[in-house]
Amino acid sequence: MAVETTTLPQIKGVKDVPYDELFVSGHRTCQGCESALVMRHMVKASGPRTIVLGSTGCMYVANTTYYTTPWVVPWMHTQLGASGSAALGTAAGLKVLMRKGKLKNEKINVIAFCGDGGGADMGIGAISATLTHKDYNCLVLLYDNESYANTDIQLSSQTPYGAVTTFSPSGTKKRLMHTRWKKNVPGMLAAGHPESRYIAAGCAAYAVDLMNKIRKALELGGPTFVHTLDPCPKGWDYHPQYSQELGHLAVECGIWPLYEVMDGVCNLTGPTRQIAEGRKKRKPVYEYLKRQGRFAHFADEDVEHFQAEVDKMWTEWLIPGVIPFTIPAKDQTILKIDKKALHEQKTA
Amino acid sequence: MSEPKETSITVEVVYRGIFQKTLAQRICRSIVLAARKRGHTGTAFARYGDSPERNGVPAKQFAVVAVNDLELEASMAKYEPAVVDVSIAVDDTLVKGVESWAWYGRQPIWKPIRKDGFLLVTSEKAPEEVLAQTDKAERPYTMGCVPGAASFAGLWVFKDDHTDYRVLGALAKVVPDWVRLDDVKALIKEQTKDEAAVQSAQYGYDGALLRAVKAGEGTSGHEKLQFAKPGWTTMRPGIVVDARKPGERNPQYKKYTARTLRPVVNFDTCIKCTMCWLDCPDECFEVTPEGHYEVVYEACIGCGICAQVCPVKDCIVMVDELKFEDNKDKWQLWKTDHDAYNKWFEQKSGVPADPKRVAHASTAAENANPAANPTTSTGGDD
Repeated sequence: MAVETTTLPQIKGVKDVPYDELFVSGHRTCQGCESALVMRHMVKASGPRTIVLGSTGCMYVANTTYYTTPWVVPWMHTQLGASGSAALGTAAGLKVLMRKGKLKNEKINVIAFCGDGGGADMGIGAISATLTHKDYNCLVLLYDNESYANTDIQLSSQTPYGAVTTFSPSGTKKRLMHTRWKKNVPGMLAAGHPESRYIAAGCAAYAVDLMNKIRKALELGGPTFVHTLDPCPKGWDYHPQYSQELGHLAVECGIWPLYEVMDGVCNLTGPTRQIAEGRKKRKPVYEYLKRQGRFAHFADEDVEHFQAEVDKMWTEWLIPGVIPFTIPAKDQTILKIDKKALHEQKTA
Repeated sequence: MSEPKETSITVEVVYRGIFQKTLAQRICRSIVLAARKRGHTGTAFARYGDSPERNGVPAKQFAVVAVNDLELEASMAKYEPAVVDVSIAVDDTLVKGVESWAWYGRQPIWKPIRKDGFLLVTSEKAPEEVLAQTDKAERPYTMGCVPGAASFAGLWVFKDDHTDYRVLGALAKVVPDWVRLDDVKALIKEQTKDEAAVQSAQYGYDGALLRAVKAGEGTSGHEKLQFAKPGWTTMRPGIVVDARKPGERNPQYKKYTARTLRPVVNFDTCIKCTMCWLDCPDECFEVTPEGHYEVVYEACIGCGICAQVCPVKDCIVMVDELKFEDNKDKWQLWKTDHDAYNKWFEQKSGVPADPKRVAHASTAAENANPAANPTTSTGGDD
């Protein structure tokens, strides 16, 4: 039996972005909510033949309190840590219904989204399990605003070093209450799930790049994963009008590298690629930090530490910003990687 | 100054979610602490339903003061006070209505104020001007304008511009039986050791402009948004809610009361680059047959991203919401009467509409109400 497929061609530029809105106005999000923009771009890219599943978080509560529904496509709530399981279960359910002839055999996109709390903290196990089930087509999208923003900004494993949250207030005796580095979720999932055909890191400030990543994930099939960094005016403490600018800065300062791992091949994309190729200069992280109230308490040494950690991501990691290993000099021939040449290429 | 005739007083602070959360908290707490100075008791609390607060979406906090603990308990046996003696709106654009949630509808700012109660608004405008944008009153009340622009800050960095002290001073003017100016001053002195802060309270007391509002005064131009909440017996199995139809916007939750500034577009200088439409988180732009992008004001919540991402100088300008009477779309006017539209654009934005004159020194950032276009001490435009 032939399967009817909808093809999702790559978007060539902003003029090529589809006009159909499948996530409309009337959701109760903050002014300048970048995560709402991710939702809008996500379904714009996937098209109308899509089922969206949402685990608890801002994009659940803000979009479902009575009368606030913005979804044109079918949407269902799932538990906080269950986005991976819900995606897999829905994909399996569709598959069996189509096999038994109870549903028309056609391509239906299944996307489950989760926040950084629901995905990187609670749901990471289920997402990991889902990414090993290579016979089911589903996408897990993690929208990362770097805190539990829905319950008024608690610390998550995605909160950056030193940031103020309600769990990590800055005090007079102790300036930094959060001194752990952000967990590298897309890198970890890409390294650990070789059978997943597509894992990517994106940002809505680069809308076309993000939509293309979502389309690639859905087109390649199997379980796939996209992680987006979403500037959050509420928790990051900046004026909402600067949401796009902060997304650009996160990438341009090298804090949030854009990349995709497609069939085991890692491609840096957008400005991240330009930085790696030496065509663009990486901005100092201070440009990014000074714009946000959550870093207002930073002393010079904190900025220096932040910069040093980001520098390490670029100069010492096996793949800049993606895979955080370094190789001892004596092993470089064994691993057939000329780290020095790579490094020179990067900093040229 | 006399003893109060009633046994308790309820004050609400209506504010912009997140931006003014700390400000509202400071005002409510100070009301209670000032009342304690004269032996009264009280409590300050936030409305649970506002959590999670969203940037710009109107929210409320309350202060209840009573002559003794028993009276306080009697006044406290409610989730959200339905009737208040004084309502304090810490941003003047809030007088255009409060729509905190979808099912809540758009409520007039005076809705919970008792007959002959008080509405204090922080505004640089005269009470007459603010009243012109306030819903037509159903019962008499007194409006007071506390001098000063709206004070916006963030969740972590508070902008200490003495707005709270000025509001407390003005409050002492309208309900002297409950909040005494001397108590307020003593409290501020204790907390800040700063004579300038104490003077700000006096300035709020002296500078507050009061105006008696009779029933029937105000505007009837604002849209009525009221919805019934379904009971559990009328909900469908699985609590299924219909999806939006393709091409429609959410007709129930329009969210425009979150707006302090609104974008106005100069279609003559627009280069049709799509950025405003693409980057709008609330999907409030509509493409015109010419390929321009017009703002659907019913859906716009005034975040300002469009003005920020627009590559053309002064093509999208953010303008004080109180300059507008309605949410009508403006592209039709541009289409039918080009000159009238440009005149309207210039009048509202203060920016020349003619591209040749755009070299003028005025910029969008200067034009917009600086206080309502806030930055935290670290974030923002530098």
